[in-house]
Amino acid sequence: MGNRRTTFLALAAVILTLGVLWYIQRPVIPQETTLAEVKAEAVKGGYRLITTEALAELYRQPGAKVLLVDTRQDWEYRSGHIQGAVNFPLEPTAWSRWRSQDRLAALLGPDRDRLVVFY
Amino acid sequence: MAVKLGYKNVYRDPLGFPEWQKNGLPVASDPLGLCDYAPEAYSPGRIAGWALVWTLLGIFMGGMALNLTPCVYPIIPITVSYFGGKSGRGRGRLLVHGLLYLAGLAVTNSALGVLAALTGGLMGALLQNPLVLVAVAAILVFFAASLFGFWELRLPGSLTQAASKSYAGYFGSLFMGLTLGLVAAPCIGPFVLGLLTWVASVGSPWLGFLVFFTLSLGLGLPLFILAMFSGSLEKLPRSGEWMLWVRHLMGWVLLAMAAYFIQPLLPEALSLALLAGVALAAAIHLGWLDRSTATFRGFAWLKTAAALAGVIIATFLVGSWAVRGPGVAWQPYSDQVMAQAREDHKPVIIDFYATWCTPCRELDEITFHHPEVVKLAGRDFVMVKVDLTQKDNPVHQRLLSQYAVKGVPTLVFLDRQGKECPSLRLVDYLPPEQVLNRMVAVGKN
Repeated sequence: MGNRRTTFLALAAVILTLGVLWYIQRPVIPQETTLAEVKAEAVKGGYRLITTEALAELYRQPGAKVLLVDTRQDWEYRSGHIQGAVNFPLEPTAWSRWRSQDRLAALLGPDRDRLVVFY
Repeated sequence: MAVKLGYKNVYRDPLGFPEWQKNGLPVASDPLGLCDYAPEAYSPGRIAGWALVWTLLGIFMGGMALNLTPCVYPIIPITVSYFGGKSGRGRGRLLVHGLLYLAGLAVTNSALGVLAALTGGLMGALLQNPLVLVAVAAILVFFAASLFGFWELRLPGSLTQAASKSYAGYFGSLFMGLTLGLVAAPCIGPFVLGLLTWVASVGSPWLGFLVFFTLSLGLGLPLFILAMFSGSLEKLPRSGEWMLWVRHLMGWVLLAMAAYFIQPLLPEALSLALLAGVALAAAIHLGWLDRSTATFRGFAWLKTAAALAGVIIATFLVGSWAVRGPGVAWQPYSDQVMAQAREDHKPVIIDFYATWCTPCRELDEITFHHPEVVKLAGRDFVMVKVDLTQKDNPVHQRLLSQYAVKGVPTLVFLDRQGKECPSLRLVDYLPPEQVLNRMVAVGKN
């Protein structure tokens, strides 16, 4: 009787393990975020959005003081980035952001009114 | 941005770089010298102050955790039998004996640390030697056989006598610790391989001593406590039939450790099947075949739990291997492949490897299964593998001297003209991001 219970539980455990493995390894198609979602996120995060055209406008102004921060990974930055941008790799996790906030503050400098654009 | 730093004029360009590039706006890429790009070399820093204190505390905890590994298991009965004979003579003296025992254990292990610091990587290389791995696995199987009841583990009478009579003084306790440290060192070695490599790379004998002294204090503390109470252990009630089951459980743990140790010597699929097989066999034996009973009710649940744990581990091992994404498509080395690559102006990565080398495996299993690496490799690169497991291949000998390969793993990066970028060469495991860096660098030319 004890053996039958063990067998039953073991079978359940095998199925559960396979299910969890399949769930975490399944191919995920990267979702296209809609403009509305990006906007909502911007409001929540307390920053504004800028279009490529507007950024190019700012960028071309003589004596423009815009700081461009490339938050992609190191190797992506190396393979090509906006001229003059600095690389600050940030993984999209809360932990990574919390951990690197001091370094980010050092990078941005003491001027709180400075124009900063992340991409 | 989830982080608030108080800046007011913060913008985000959600379309980012791809859109910018498409509009033909000024871009730059790094590095411009490409092949000359020297990747940041990893240099282990010297640590001091509070960082050192925290590191040592962590190492102490790690040492205590080492007691959970079956390596320490053979030491326990020896400790008990040795100190059991001494317990009649008062707490104070027993305490001194215990401390000396601990000191002996620490001295041997610290010598190991100093040696590692002085000899550089030699120590780590020794512990990866196939012979050492086989020997450790054999010892584990030997003790497992004892736990399964094939033979009785009993110390030679002469050793027990020597321990209790002729070395009865304080020096005896110190000597006991020294020798036991020596016995345990090769067994614990593989567990502290990372620590050894770190000490060796920093190269400071003082740090090596400190690290391994702390480790042995952690390792020895439970043994010390055991020694203090070894006299009272005999007063514990006799254990029942269920103790036999616990011994079998320990035996299976030892067998699993043995399978783990010889993993680098076997092909990947076989070593995985071996580990999974041990887990499954343990589950069947402990959960179904073993007929031990106990008076307390929890025992039936304990058996079920052991069976479930074994089954889950086996399923997980086989399952995660089966559902793993595709890896890089390697080609065996041939002159035609190289000629074709030069004709197509494709960069080449040559991976010199051997099945018994652990970093080679990590490279293959982690880095060359990373989706971005696989994508980039499949699109832009010719990936060539040279298997050096068997040494007597004339083509491989020529390649070894041609590329001045000194050991495995070695990753050689050739640019589109077929010229090597020596600054990119890799001789150890590197995580996917850093290998991607190098691939981007070499792919630019």
